[in-house]
Amino acid sequence: MHAVLTPPERAALIDKVEAHWSVWQKANAEEADSANPEGSRLAMLATDLGLTQDQVAKIRAGLSEGMKAVPRLDPQEIATHIQAFGKAFRGEKFDAKALTGANSANAHLAGWGAAHLAHFVEAVSPVLTPDQRAEFAQRLREHSVHSNGGNE
Amino acid sequence: MSLGNQTRMLRRLACAVGLSALLAATPGCVPFIAYDGYDDYPPDAYVATTAPVYFEGRPMYWYGNRWSYREGGRWNHYDREPPALYQRRMQGPPVRRSYEPPRGRPAAGHFGGRPNGRR
Repeated sequence: MHAVLTPPERAALIDKVEAHWSVWQKANAEEADSANPEGSRLAMLATDLGLTQDQVAKIRAGLSEGMKAVPRLDPQEIATHIQAFGKAFRGEKFDAKALTGANSANAHLAGWGAAHLAHFVEAVSPVLTPDQRAEFAQRLREHSVHSNGGNE
Repeated sequence: MSLGNQTRMLRRLACAVGLSALLAATPGCVPFIAYDGYDDYPPDAYVATTAPVYFEGRPMYWYGNRWSYREGGRWNHYDREPPALYQRRMQGPPVRRSYEPPRGRPAAGHFGGRPNGRR
């Protein structure tokens, strides 16, 4: 890919990777912000599945307990990797294998995401009615294939 | 290059980068793409979702009624709009991708949205 891109296109790609990381951090910070519960994924789920207040309270209690087990993600590690990638990708030659730390950063991010999702599902599923659970499962399936029903 | 080709190329690139794809694959990723009102320079959510225009060897973003670009890691802009960029702008709004799920659905993920604009 590096070979087929012009230097400006490489610069744009780097800008976008950095921007995605910034947005991702902000989104997840908001997710963890107890002062902003309405902006959380649970609030979205409550709306989408028609959860009762009692259900939301039970899920929230389960989430706060379960998330303690999610390994902490070091944002500095990811930022360092992105900076290294950007510096390398801007160059005339690019060797992805030379990016030491890439596997570690990817593994930590993926591991954090998997654990986060697992605890979320564990907290939500037992509280749902069968119909809500079926809808929840359907949304997870859509998410797993990155489909929102209208992608090219 | 057509919009479809550009989209496909960016998708491949994102996969090649790996980390970028992972950012979206993780569950908390980008539930909302929104930028916090007007700012002097394009915010990250705008850069992440908007196709740039290439001019003078740099990617440019039309934002806040001016063309902005990065230079040495910092944003800069043209005080006077170059004629070529004006012509480009007159062709239509920049191509944007939406990551917002339809009616509150969970975010679809990286490059999972649809273009909002047309060249």
